[in-house]
Amino acid sequence: MRKSRIVTVFMLISIMFTSLLFANGQSEESTTADKLFTIGMSQCNLGEPWRVQMNADVKSEADKYDNIKVIYKDAQNDTLKQRSHVEEFVSAEVDLLIISPKEAQPLTGPVSAAMAAGIPVIVLDRAVIGDDYTQFIGADNVIIGKAAGEWVVETFGGKGAKVVELMGLQTSPPGQDRHNGFREAIKGSDVEVIFEADVKWLEPNARKEMESALSRFDDIDLVYGHNDPAAHGAYLAAKAAGREGDIQFIGIDALPHEGVAYVKDGILNATFQYPTGGNIAIQQALKILAGETVEKNITLGSRLFTTDNVDTGGVELK
Amino acid sequence: MTDSTQTSALMKEGRFVRFLSSSAGRATIAFVLVMLLGLIFNADGAFFKLGMHRDALRQASVFGILAVGMTVVIITGGIDLSVGSILAVSAVLFSILTLHLDWPAWISILSCIIVGAGLGAISGTLIAVTKLQPFIATLAMMTFGRGVAKYITGGQKISTYLTNSDGEVIIKELPRIFKVIDSRIMGGNIAIVSIIFLFCLLITWLFLAKHKWGRELFSIGGNEESARLSGVPVKWTKFLAYTVSGIMCAIAGIAQAAQETQGDPEAGGGYELTAIAMVVIGGTNMAGGRGGMGLTLIGILTIGYLEKILSINAVPESGRLLITGVIIVLAVLTQRKNRN
Amino acid sequence: MNSDLSTPVIAMRGIGKKFGRVRVLENIDFEIFPGEVHILAGENGAGKSTLMKILSGVYTSYEGTISMNGKIIAPATPLEANHMGISVIHQELSLIPSMNVRDNLFLGRPVTSLGFVHDREQKKKALSVLNDLGLDVSADALIEDLSISMQQLIEIAKAISINAKVIIMDEPSSSLNSKDVEILFSLIEKLKKQGCGIVYISHRMEEIKRLANRITVLRDGKFVGTSLAEKLPTPKLINWMVGREMTNMFPRYEMNRGKEKLRIENLTVSDNEKTHVKGINLTVNSGEILGIAGLQGCGASELLMGIFGAYNRKTADHIYLNGKEISIKKPSDAIKKNIALLTNDRKATGLVLSMSIIANICMSGLVELSQWGWRSIFGEISATEKQAEALQIHASSYEMEVGMLSGGNQQKVAIAKWMQISPEVLLLDEPTRGIDIGAKHEIYQLMNEWTKQGISIVLITSEMPELLAMSDRVIVMHRGSLTAEFTREEADAENILAAAMGKETIRR
Repeated sequence: MRKSRIVTVFMLISIMFTSLLFANGQSEESTTADKLFTIGMSQCNLGEPWRVQMNADVKSEADKYDNIKVIYKDAQNDTLKQRSHVEEFVSAEVDLLIISPKEAQPLTGPVSAAMAAGIPVIVLDRAVIGDDYTQFIGADNVIIGKAAGEWVVETFGGKGAKVVELMGLQTSPPGQDRHNGFREAIKGSDVEVIFEADVKWLEPNARKEMESALSRFDDIDLVYGHNDPAAHGAYLAAKAAGREGDIQFIGIDALPHEGVAYVKDGILNATFQYPTGGNIAIQQALKILAGETVEKNITLGSRLFTTDNVDTGGVELK
Repeated sequence: MTDSTQTSALMKEGRFVRFLSSSAGRATIAFVLVMLLGLIFNADGAFFKLGMHRDALRQASVFGILAVGMTVVIITGGIDLSVGSILAVSAVLFSILTLHLDWPAWISILSCIIVGAGLGAISGTLIAVTKLQPFIATLAMMTFGRGVAKYITGGQKISTYLTNSDGEVIIKELPRIFKVIDSRIMGGNIAIVSIIFLFCLLITWLFLAKHKWGRELFSIGGNEESARLSGVPVKWTKFLAYTVSGIMCAIAGIAQAAQETQGDPEAGGGYELTAIAMVVIGGTNMAGGRGGMGLTLIGILTIGYLEKILSINAVPESGRLLITGVIIVLAVLTQRKNRN
Repeated sequence: MNSDLSTPVIAMRGIGKKFGRVRVLENIDFEIFPGEVHILAGENGAGKSTLMKILSGVYTSYEGTISMNGKIIAPATPLEANHMGISVIHQELSLIPSMNVRDNLFLGRPVTSLGFVHDREQKKKALSVLNDLGLDVSADALIEDLSISMQQLIEIAKAISINAKVIIMDEPSSSLNSKDVEILFSLIEKLKKQGCGIVYISHRMEEIKRLANRITVLRDGKFVGTSLAEKLPTPKLINWMVGREMTNMFPRYEMNRGKEKLRIENLTVSDNEKTHVKGINLTVNSGEILGIAGLQGCGASELLMGIFGAYNRKTADHIYLNGKEISIKKPSDAIKKNIALLTNDRKATGLVLSMSIIANICMSGLVELSQWGWRSIFGEISATEKQAEALQIHASSYEMEVGMLSGGNQQKVAIAKWMQISPEVLLLDEPTRGIDIGAKHEIYQLMNEWTKQGISIVLITSEMPELLAMSDRVIVMHRGSLTAEFTREEADAENILAAAMGKETIRR
């Protein structure tokens, strides 16, 4: 009994150490040039592919330069953890902080504290309250939702369309914005939403809800997914029902492995990029570190990928 | 209380009422209630289409497979919180083996089942041998399993889209096994995943009802010390219970990956709660010793149909949560035996 | 009678109760006077517990009325009954094992100031209660660390400390050893002097004789009679209870002693905390009943658990069955060698109450009843029928949950489980605890039958008459060691008790 407990404890400890060995890959070092800048990257949640992509974009851009080193921290969707990450970066005296905050209110204070310590801060994707930061970089979900709506109206050219809307979490601002923008664009047109459901960004939910829509409506022209997985889930449901040929599918985000690949694969008809801004952040960081003045706010442009243009890298949306 | 005594006296009459006062009968009350809900709110007749019922069963299948393993564990008086995480491990492992490494389907399936059984066996060992509380041991496994799933995928979904060495995305052909599992037979009227689920349920049902091991599970849940002193191999039986749950998670993970055409390391989050709800609504006692696979089947159908009915009626999220909560309480209330 | 019997403190009139369509009580009259011990007697299932549950507010739907000092009362919950001065000491303990003595004493009515528990005051009060009763226990000790008999006494102390007018004691002595029974009886005397009315439920004749002022007998939910104790001689009382004459209570008539069956050498039983049994040697012959006597905590139960492989043992021991050494590391090893252990607490360690009679009876012999692990339904039914017939288990269906059976029938199911493995050695730990006289008698007869078939029995019992009457040989244990061994002729209550308290008289 006692022996088995010792063995268990020993096993657990060795598991812990081995996993720590792997964890070392967290910080990336580039070869040293004359002056090495350290940038802290505080990510709120690496559980989402889109945010994994954001970190990847930061990394691929940063790898191009020898004089910066980026340290990544993942707050795992925990506001307080992110707050202490910011504080750790401040006490480690990084040269610049990039933060993609989980929530505005609780992280405004720590960001101000970093500014007060003389560390420039780039806020990515989600804003903080007030203007005590160096630069905000983000895309506008309302604009993208609107672009999707306009695309639908245009594509169906006055013939009218029956649309199923599979929404992202409706208690989150991106979900609300993508909904409102879309509805604003189709207002007054012949495009009509006949079925909507909150699938909370999740693909299995989307497939489930789409099956319900299919069993209720014999005539569906288009599915608007608030993200690409939602549109993909809807496609799988339609395919199982043998109706994927009659329906168009559009999504948002356009990650290389997801939306863009879906369009290439002929699954989605269109996807609207929600850029991560990771690469822009590094470019701007270099300017800030070089002492240049930068714009306070940068709104990222979006790209549209359709079957026709996906091989040429999509087109820019205005 | 006088009233309830009289009611239970009345209930003794007739075969039908006797059925209603059995545990299976009480579980059926909730199911019938949900079906009535469907009849009334039939979404312009959508409820009467055969396809709706096929879809309802298919959607409940992954949860159902988890609930089968959960039933075995709950009968021993334990609980398995790690089912969603082990499902994710299996889903991503299956996707990596078949999509990225091009392993043959049956070897991949077997590997997933072995890994699932292994993770379940670790929980089983911690509980049966090291005497950790099931809640704590499987809570740890839930976290650990999710970590494994994220580690082997790097946090990304494993799909048919691969990046080659030039950073270009290439699209691979979806292996046949994915299409096979996510297809339908019998004139398109029943999904393969539903067949897999019913097969798992039937086999486990058989073991619970007809095998020595099933009897031993019940005796451990009813009174572990009595069971031990009656020569029941308590440690071995408990160990097997969690291992079987792990195997069910692995099978559910494969079914999940096939339906999603990808392996998502975030898959199965929160599924453990749905699986537990299905078992409990069926009438299996959380304290152990009482229950059965037939009851769990009723529980699975109750929750499965409820979700489907709410979905075809496009009920908003808030309403769904409210109604599901009420049904769970109603179902468990009808289960309660009249003690006086 | 040291108190006036003019006005009863409690008068129950025309009490009736039905469960569904089953009538369990019919038109019962029952009175309790201050300062008396009123024995409530009857076989298991006679309705004693139901009647007391009505009085103590557990059951609230019943026919008839209850009055207290002339005023009609209807306690709706046990707590309400408690406040009225009606207190119950249960057969099953109602203490909370993980809490300490003083918190348990004041459970539900803590000594508080401004809503916070006043620990020092509470401890002082607890100590005075414990001192008054002469209980040698720390107020800070956790209940789970105390012996069962001490727990029982604390349960009684709790009832006394709330100034109860009526105390209902349901088999309070069933888990007490003889020393603690004496403490209990002196407590009862004290309570009587305070004018407390006591309802005492017991199956033990010698207790009934010793304590009773008045006796009321129930049978099958019906009122049989109430009588002053001195006007109700034992044969008549038994007649009232079982409805028939019972001439020979202990029918041990014939010894069929054969050659050596089981021999234990140098057996030591210990767990992490203490050594329960030290270096015991003993032999049992076939067809013999070996009685083990000893006070609570003497290690007799642990000795049987050790032989059965249910406890950690030192490996220096040897166990021989039919002259051949065998190794028993876990209960299933013992079962394979046809050694059976009937534990002393059928609800906690003997049966699985939530399972059917069939499932319980076939639990230990499941391997033999199965092929490749697959159970044989017909084999199980016929095995159950065979055992139920041999043991006269009364149940409407073998699919019935064991928890629904009466105590006597439950005990028979526990025994049937072991008879199903065709035992050569039966280790019986308190086989007749908490069951009625009729069932006890049946079990004694069965023991005779088994020994006639050559089965060896090791018997632990805390009832002296049972031990003396049934044992062919008696060994006595004190603090984990053997202190004496007597033949049937030598054994008597006096020298057994002396040895149990530590006097060494081993003769070899």
